[in-house]
Amino acid sequence: MKKNLTKIFRFIPRQFSPGLKFCSCIFLMLMMQVSVTAQTPDTKISGKIVNSSGEPMQGVSIAVKNTTNMTTTDINGDFTLVAPSNAVLVMSYVGFKKQEVSVAGKTQLQITLEPVESALGDVVVVGYTSQRKASITGAVSTVNMKDLSKTRIPDVAQALQGQVAGVFVAANTGAPGDGIKVRIRGEGTLGNNDVLYVVDGVPTRDISFLNATDIKTLTVLKDASATAIYGSRAAGGVVVITTNSGQKGRTSIDVDYFTGTHMATNLPKMLNADQYLTVKDMAWHNTLGNAPGATSPYQADRSRPDLANTDWLDELFNKGKSQSFQVAASGGSEKVQYLLSAGYYTQDGIVVEDHDQYKRFNFRANINADITDRLKVGTNLQITYANQDKLSSSGDAPGVIRHALIRPPVLSVYKNVNDPTYSVDNPYTDLPFYTRFNGGWNTNYEYSSNPIAIVHFTDDKRKTYQTFGNVFAEYALLKDKSLRLRSNLGVDISFSHNKNFAENFGDDNNQDSSAGNPYHGLGRNNKPNNLDENLGQTMTFTFSNTLNYLKTINGKHSINALLGTESISSKSSGIGGSRQNFDNSTGPFRYLDYGSTNNAGSAGSATNWNLVSFFASGTYGYDNKYFATATIRADGSSRFGPNNKWGYFPSVSAGWKISQEKFMDNIDWLSNLKLRASWGKSGNQEIPDHAYETVVSKVGGVVNIIRYGNPDVKWESTTQTNIGLDLGILKNKLSFSADYFIKQTDDILLSVGLPAVSVGVIEKTLVNAGQVSNKGFELGINYQDYDHPFKYSVNANVATLTNKVDKLYTFVKSIIDEGTHTKTEAGQPISSYYGLVFDGIYQNAAEISEHLFSNPNGVQPGDIRFKDLDHDGQINANDRAFIGNPIPKTTWGFSFSAEYMRFDFSFLLQGVQGVDRYNDLKQILNYDSRPFNSMVSVLDSWHGEGTSNTTPRVTFNNNGGGYVSSVFVEDASYLRLKNIEIGYTFNTAKIGVKNMRLFVSGQNLLTSTKYTGLDPESTSLIDKGTYPQSKAFIVGAKIKL
Amino acid sequence: MKRVSITGIIIIALFFAGCKKQLTTDAIGLVTLEQVNAAPTLNTVETAVSSSYELLSSRLNILAEWDWGGGLVFQNDYVMQDIASDDMEKKWNPDGDQPWMDEINNFTYTATNGGPNGLWKYDYEGIKRINLAISFLTKSDIETITGITTARKNQLLGEAYFLRCFYYFSLVTNFGDVPLILAPVQTYQEAFTVAVRADKNLVWDRIKADLALAKPLLPNTKYSSASEKWRVSKGAVIALQAKVALYTQKWTEVITFVTELETLGFYSLNANYFSSFSAAAEFTDNEVIFCYDHQSNQTPKRGNGICAPLDWGFFAPSTSFLNAFEANDPRLFYTVDVANKNVNKMLGTLNGTYKGNDDAPTNKVYIRMADPLLWKAEAYNETGNYPAAITLINQIRARARNSVTAAGTFPPAGTLPDRPASTDKATIQAWLVSERRVELGFESQRMADLKRWGTAKAVMIAHGKNFLDKHYLYPIPQGEIDASAGTLTQNPGY
Repeated sequence: MKKNLTKIFRFIPRQFSPGLKFCSCIFLMLMMQVSVTAQTPDTKISGKIVNSSGEPMQGVSIAVKNTTNMTTTDINGDFTLVAPSNAVLVMSYVGFKKQEVSVAGKTQLQITLEPVESALGDVVVVGYTSQRKASITGAVSTVNMKDLSKTRIPDVAQALQGQVAGVFVAANTGAPGDGIKVRIRGEGTLGNNDVLYVVDGVPTRDISFLNATDIKTLTVLKDASATAIYGSRAAGGVVVITTNSGQKGRTSIDVDYFTGTHMATNLPKMLNADQYLTVKDMAWHNTLGNAPGATSPYQADRSRPDLANTDWLDELFNKGKSQSFQVAASGGSEKVQYLLSAGYYTQDGIVVEDHDQYKRFNFRANINADITDRLKVGTNLQITYANQDKLSSSGDAPGVIRHALIRPPVLSVYKNVNDPTYSVDNPYTDLPFYTRFNGGWNTNYEYSSNPIAIVHFTDDKRKTYQTFGNVFAEYALLKDKSLRLRSNLGVDISFSHNKNFAENFGDDNNQDSSAGNPYHGLGRNNKPNNLDENLGQTMTFTFSNTLNYLKTINGKHSINALLGTESISSKSSGIGGSRQNFDNSTGPFRYLDYGSTNNAGSAGSATNWNLVSFFASGTYGYDNKYFATATIRADGSSRFGPNNKWGYFPSVSAGWKISQEKFMDNIDWLSNLKLRASWGKSGNQEIPDHAYETVVSKVGGVVNIIRYGNPDVKWESTTQTNIGLDLGILKNKLSFSADYFIKQTDDILLSVGLPAVSVGVIEKTLVNAGQVSNKGFELGINYQDYDHPFKYSVNANVATLTNKVDKLYTFVKSIIDEGTHTKTEAGQPISSYYGLVFDGIYQNAAEISEHLFSNPNGVQPGDIRFKDLDHDGQINANDRAFIGNPIPKTTWGFSFSAEYMRFDFSFLLQGVQGVDRYNDLKQILNYDSRPFNSMVSVLDSWHGEGTSNTTPRVTFNNNGGGYVSSVFVEDASYLRLKNIEIGYTFNTAKIGVKNMRLFVSGQNLLTSTKYTGLDPESTSLIDKGTYPQSKAFIVGAKIKL
Repeated sequence: MKRVSITGIIIIALFFAGCKKQLTTDAIGLVTLEQVNAAPTLNTVETAVSSSYELLSSRLNILAEWDWGGGLVFQNDYVMQDIASDDMEKKWNPDGDQPWMDEINNFTYTATNGGPNGLWKYDYEGIKRINLAISFLTKSDIETITGITTARKNQLLGEAYFLRCFYYFSLVTNFGDVPLILAPVQTYQEAFTVAVRADKNLVWDRIKADLALAKPLLPNTKYSSASEKWRVSKGAVIALQAKVALYTQKWTEVITFVTELETLGFYSLNANYFSSFSAAAEFTDNEVIFCYDHQSNQTPKRGNGICAPLDWGFFAPSTSFLNAFEANDPRLFYTVDVANKNVNKMLGTLNGTYKGNDDAPTNKVYIRMADPLLWKAEAYNETGNYPAAITLINQIRARARNSVTAAGTFPPAGTLPDRPASTDKATIQAWLVSERRVELGFESQRMADLKRWGTAKAVMIAHGKNFLDKHYLYPIPQGEIDASAGTLTQNPGY
């Protein structure tokens, strides 16, 4: 019999539909044969569960249906259970189909579990409707929420990192609550490339309010056939999310908890005080050319009694902590289902004190009700409160990280208590080496800021209160429910409250002692103290109505047709106030009322936009073999001028499931083969509201043109062609999904800086200025083997991307952005790094006069030699060239998960290849003309002919390091072990919970990169030293009550 | 069931009705140029003119926030004219801060240096603002729309023409040929088409023509406005006419204009040299013809920010400058207090007051009577009237030696003796050159003078700097050449 069963099950994939029916009959018949009729209640039932190869399966849970009575199989696949003789047993196991077996009086059962056929029968939520996965003809990826939740990251967008081919995710900084950058299939434009998220039918650009455990499905729509239905906002790709709902008759309470410890990792090695003084002494001699015997101030200061040896990075970072607690209750009757959840997440970042905190509370209520057989209503509503304690986490504003790096180690963190400027409230050192009141600080050490003091005095809170969700009604117009009218009203109402109290601190370097000077006696930072408070509100309503016809005719023709309208209106406004000179600046007085009325400020602004849309889509499938989909959307947007209000976005796609063809019947090993092709257009309307208008500022009544409008500005439109192939081998144990796409964005919306000569210093103007193309290949591979006690699955995804500006037109030949050291020009990737090209170090004067024959410009031996590209004997702007590509060429992810007995184990590796970043931090540390601290690599600097051809001499003059050049462009490719987790599931029958799993997890434990900045993942074009990603150890529990 | 269907239909019908309105509703939260042009208010016109003065101010961060590298932290005449010359060093203690200033000092700058960028952007931002003001003031029906009086309109227009000339004067002397933009750009496309350099003679002609237009529009009083003494006056227009004549070497015109200025009877040399600079004596002195009026504690701010970099050690005298003063010349201390490292002339005080204050009340003096008198002396010398030239030079020297020193005493007898009679043009010119250097030191005149005289190369090489012929003009900022997509051309040699 066992042999028969095996044979039958191997039969299934080949003759999918008729075969399944046939085998089910056989199966039931077989079950009947082994059954022995008995009617006694509560008998002891024992059994064995095996896989299709007949091997015993351990850890399968067996529950008596509609009770909490359950057990699991042991190592031999055996189980025993006491249950009524008429009970139904439910067997479930990851990767296998759930099976129900009627006990029907038997006491001995042998059950074979069937593997899930790679979810081919799954339903995928796509634009405004859902489709069977088999019928999908576009490039669509669903994300495994179980894998996603292992990232233990509060932001769902960030958790997508490494999960899906073609989705690039990076954290802007590692500071708790800071933004995440997500790109689907590259950068289509110089402007906004952000992804559109659609949560329960409500579009949004930010999902940081969402809790990963509340999400049921997350689908990434990549090609135009999938995204075109979202029209003018879909060019950056769409992520469709549905939230969990209750299940009929199954009540459950889920509790999730974890706590983690975070620490800084991969920090650069800096000079200590002794090395610092040696290097600066050398620089002093190199700069002034004094006799070698002359004593530099750095040499002289070695004997200072107050000389410190501070490791600023060590002082700045400590251990951070995160905690997450989620509880959800769900259930329902036949008519009404509910899910209620609450979550609390808190993180204190890796910087000392707790001014880098993030807290989030969220409450969710999802309710669905069948009012009548044909009328269904429901709501999915979330309330979120988030509070970020914002630290200046990146850049030079002043960024705490940057200042910890540049501050000389010879300065101490705290002042000596005998220092006349010491106070208990402000014990921090500020200016270097105080000598006398009113000035007189040592100017040999540059006026950097004390990062510990910045952290201590920061009080910048950013609060958001958000209500997000929808209310819907769905009515079946026909009796067979094939035609349904659905009306969905989405709300996204958010209030923000930012409050920044800038406390005055630091040394008083002000020599003006006149009575009229309002700053007299104040420290040099935040002078005078001030409070800036802003309230903002944004209300967005999305009202959509769809008519959906879903029917299969004669078992061969499947039809899914959709007709819809949508209207979105959004209004934002904000008010703000500021005051300064708070007499008393302690906490209770940090309200506007307590500031001086002199120089009190107030501000108010508002803006709005509307979008009106009509759309239709139709999918036709024939015999489960041939599929075709067409969609169209028309969008009218208030963002565009009267000439170009409307945009039209069509798409078509087709799929051929070759494995269903007769001629494939004999290929045993092939379980699925599908070819897909699509073409379509989507758009981008993410530009400032009313960009077509020429705008005048009247701040304080002063009229000044602040932006020139472009009345002809219109949609950016992205045409995408996609060819895809899905392949399943060995009953879909091994599956591949490959896609090749060409994405061409026309009329890219570009902010062009007008020449100041004509318009002064002004905001940029939006023009439709060019064409950008992205081409790429994406491959996802999945292998799973659940047939043995050691069950495992491997997931790998890789995507390549070639980004190129095809052309720029009108007045724009190229865009050089001085601020980001980039140039955008036809034939190059968007915003490619642009500057001088490093060509070694000048070894002697003869080399300089030979290379720089027309203008040596003060260059000395030991300075950086740049390529003289135009051979005119001098280095100037004409010698600039493209020196780096900021857009990753390859992104990949690799995950592995396994289970053995009650243990489970998983890890995720993620990486990026072929990307450069401008390491501006290296510039200020090792190449700046000011006496900042440096990385130890500066010890290899040139100090005479032949000593180095890579690191220039140290000097307080420009050794060439003051120019934008390839010296600072570094390969920012990396490989990172994002997470690794080990879990153990307890046998919980005795303690009255359904399921309990404990886990330990590590985040970002290993990083391999050649990049010398703090974090290769940081997304800014110019890395000025960002708050790095932290390494974390997490323990947690997941309990089902 | 029927009810539900009807409700559905009504919802959809309402939806269609609402669409059109949604797309045509007016923008909120902004004012368009169209709206302002259609109905300028009196306040619009007044502030359009007054905000055009702002680029002459030394307030910090008018055009950007701490854009040091881009030369936009303050109006950078002190860098481009004084640090560049043999008078001034970047800081009292040389260090690696602001290397772009060192490049200006050492003539190693390229077109990406922040100095020319700042100079260019300040001037053209001013021109943009003033062109908008002029477009309002020259509207034929401006009086009926805004209710502005003819007299006020004329005065504002006179101020506006002067300011535009003042900005163009700076551009043409520093960059040579520059785009001549005389009306607000209407569309963004036009911003590219007008960015074409005009021959410098066209620019000079336009400056002369506009100044001629401005003169009769301004009242015949020392100050155009009794309550706002900072406004451009008739005297300022005549002085600039004289300076334009000087820079274009129209010697007889120089004499005519300076004489016209003197005839007004408003200006004379102050008894004390420092009165022109003293923050305490502002608008009560006799000598200042045009300045930017800084005021502390205003909203929005209009204080002098240059006192903050002074506290950071910026702007120090060169040894050569200190040596240029004759013994006991009181002007040395009034210019710079070497012992205490205070640049008194820039601080407006003699005891370090305001040093470090980024909102100081000290005015920035652009034209004061001593300057036109020396122009006239130069013109007399050029036209062979040597005694008149020497008389004027001696007038300047006499005032200096008769100024009470900071210690409250007069300089010892024999200080700054009168120049003797001479008929040697070169000798007189040499006297004039040294007199201008010490009289107008740290007032952003030196480099422009050296370039005008054609002696910059020799003087700077003697000063140990690698001055090449190309340095007579600053490079057009590379960022502007890039932004114009190449319609702007570079000066030779850069």
